[in-house]
Amino acid sequence: MATDTGFPCSLTLQVPFPNARLASVALQALRVDKELSSLVTRHFTTVAAAGGPSDLQNVLQIEYKATTNRMLRVAVNSFFDGLALVLEVMEELDVDVVEERQKAAKTG
Amino acid sequence: MDLTAHPNRIALGLEGSANKLGIGVILHTGSSLDPSTSTVLSNIRHTFVSPPGTGFLPKDTAKHHRSFLVRIAKQALSAANVSISQIDCICYTKGPGMGAPLTSVAIGARTLSLLWNKPLVGVNHCVGHIEMGRAITGASHPVVLYVSGGNTQVIAYAEQRYRIFGEALDIAVGNCLDRFARTIEISNDPAPGYNIEQLAKQGGRVLLDLPYAVKGMDCSFSGILTRADELAAHMKKGGKAPDGEPITPADLCFSLQETVFSMLVEITERAMAHVGSNQVLIVGGVGCNERLQEMMGAMAADRGGSVYATDERFCIDNGIMIAHAGLLAYETGFQTPIEESTCTQRFRTDEVLVKWRK
Repeated sequence: MATDTGFPCSLTLQVPFPNARLASVALQALRVDKELSSLVTRHFTTVAAAGGPSDLQNVLQIEYKATTNRMLRVAVNSFFDGLALVLEVMEELDVDVVEERQKAAKTG
Repeated sequence: MDLTAHPNRIALGLEGSANKLGIGVILHTGSSLDPSTSTVLSNIRHTFVSPPGTGFLPKDTAKHHRSFLVRIAKQALSAANVSISQIDCICYTKGPGMGAPLTSVAIGARTLSLLWNKPLVGVNHCVGHIEMGRAITGASHPVVLYVSGGNTQVIAYAEQRYRIFGEALDIAVGNCLDRFARTIEISNDPAPGYNIEQLAKQGGRVLLDLPYAVKGMDCSFSGILTRADELAAHMKKGGKAPDGEPITPADLCFSLQETVFSMLVEITERAMAHVGSNQVLIVGGVGCNERLQEMMGAMAADRGGSVYATDERFCIDNGIMIAHAGLLAYETGFQTPIEESTCTQRFRTDEVLVKWRK
């Protein structure tokens, strides 16, 4: 990856989702909070999976750049903490999951 | 939004500005223009309790909130027995509070808002306390004493703002109590302030001399904490009280409570005299303290008024107050777009336009 003067440490993460809707939800939920340090920059997008249909943007892509590897690690770890919560909410509280559970509770 | 077409409005609220994660569901019935009825459908809370002698750190607290958010949300939904389609909006605490815990809960709230396709409403934590206190107690136009681990404010409503008449100049009164609980290493379960209150009940033999720091309408608590810590060190070395008996933790807790609560009563009374109100509403975690309620009640009774307080379900941080205050704002047309749904550690009570009151 091309290095940026001042921000030599970089990492690009790609997180595949089952569909474009969930990738977009994760993007919107996670990009709101500003990166706390000015020593880190990042860019959120959704992209198509390699080899997949180009109109299906189901991969969340985050490009991190930082002044030091330490700052990069701190920022990326914090991103994963947030991502884990988003994934758990998707798994347990998406509309269809909640409806299914409520239906089961009524009949059971 | 035509609210007359919606006689029933339901909000889900998520709170996590300090060590409590709270999620609740509230129902408003009737026209929002008339005083509408508020019904608590569910109010679930899980508290991060740190070991004796320690406080809760932002990183650990944020981790606690992330770990419990889904579990507590599921409990709140099932206790409320509402379907997603019945919910009008998702409310979350925008601030003030600790950054990392606030952000963790906001991420959860945003995800729910996006998945369920419901508008998001950012709520000021202090306004949440005030509105919930008003709804539960029925106090119509009170002077509000908001006392918790992070905030100490005397507030009165005027012209669509909750105006701050007086506040702590340094640490909050609850922080003073919490940190003293750490000094004498008593349990943080269920809350350090609760355990101080219980110990203080065994005191009363002597009132140890602590600084009394009211400065106009404001208070200072850090010097009192320093002196209380010194007295605790004195006690550990077998120090004696002025009556010649050994100092006990109960003596210290009693003296600390009597001193700081007297200060709060003084500034509250002055605000009441200023605005001509004889109602006091106590909100915030320290507001559960029955000794504070008793002292405030005595002052209010002398003025021909009364004190309004709630129990721990509503005093201590909770999700339902965020749902309630958020829904009040939502009913006036207020929403927080996702891209603006940030959190802020500093968010003063008087920054909020209280559009739902006249």
